[in-house]
Amino acid sequence: MRYAWISAAVLATALGSGCATKKGFEVPGQAFGCPIGDQKIGSMEDLVKAKVVMEGSRTTVLPTEMRCSRSGDLLRIDANLNNDSKSVKRISYKFRWIDREGMRAWEEEAWKPLMVYDNSNLMVNTVAPTNKAADFRLVLRSME
Amino acid sequence: MKRSIRFYGLLPLAAAALLAAGCAKDVTRYGDSKSVETVTNEFGSTDLQTIAESMARSMQTAPVIVSGNLPILTVQEVRNRTSEYIDTRAITDSIRSELQKGGKVRFAVDQSGLKQQTGEIDRQQSGYYAREQSVERGQMVGAQYRMEGNITSIVKQVKDTKDVYYKFNLQLWNIRNGLLEWSDEKEIRKTTTRG
Repeated sequence: MRYAWISAAVLATALGSGCATKKGFEVPGQAFGCPIGDQKIGSMEDLVKAKVVMEGSRTTVLPTEMRCSRSGDLLRIDANLNNDSKSVKRISYKFRWIDREGMRAWEEEAWKPLMVYDNSNLMVNTVAPTNKAADFRLVLRSME
Repeated sequence: MKRSIRFYGLLPLAAAALLAAGCAKDVTRYGDSKSVETVTNEFGSTDLQTIAESMARSMQTAPVIVSGNLPILTVQEVRNRTSEYIDTRAITDSIRSELQKGGKVRFAVDQSGLKQQTGEIDRQQSGYYAREQSVERGQMVGAQYRMEGNITSIVKQVKDTKDVYYKFNLQLWNIRNGLLEWSDEKEIRKTTTRG
């Protein structure tokens, strides 16, 4: 009887861990490799919404994909910017770095100008300036 | 008589010019030092900031920096091979500041600061200072890697268009064995059209 209980428990644990592997492909607190804390991010659109901030004149150039990884102890980010309009767009962008306590982990970056061709994608990538940067925001503004 | 009429006729014009000059006041405002600057297409603050940030971030991921235990670097010259005056020291200073703040490297005194460094050691060894608190000669730490680079430009101009292309190249050399451990480039293109 005791063995039956133990076998049932072992089976349940194995099943549970099996499900966890399938469902929880991501590390907890991460979506597509990017830190999300306790936010509920179910899709790439949710992640983009959570990480992108518009400041000043709004631009129609938007990230369609964002992925993060680690380079040593530094956060590495790839963001694919898409211009689906029929004209060349000029924007500027910067990253804002946030530490584990939600405070600024680095001083405000300089705005970097960017030209995105019509109906095109452009990959923007960066590495966190310090290992204190646990999270980030991609800040965009139009230069038109 | 004729001359005095002409003189008095010019008076209102002169007064108007004086008034206009008086009204056109200069206005000074503080701006955002991090904003995109496009006053002319010569090398500007945005170029300096973009290059420094890009180079420092890239260097931080170099295997020698990642695997090294706070490697010691020294800054050498960035040669200006453009046709305009560029303070390349300002670029290397910004790169050094960003790297130093990142906490992954240390910097040894470079050639430009060596005179001040040795001068201070000599001063402390001059006999005027308490011997136990004075720094001794022969305690300075040499760098393991040296950082040097080039900035080049290609300028093309036709009637109403001027195109400037900058290429900044930075290298990290191993001083002991002369190997190139890391290198990266940043390109910038600016075009000015009249009208």
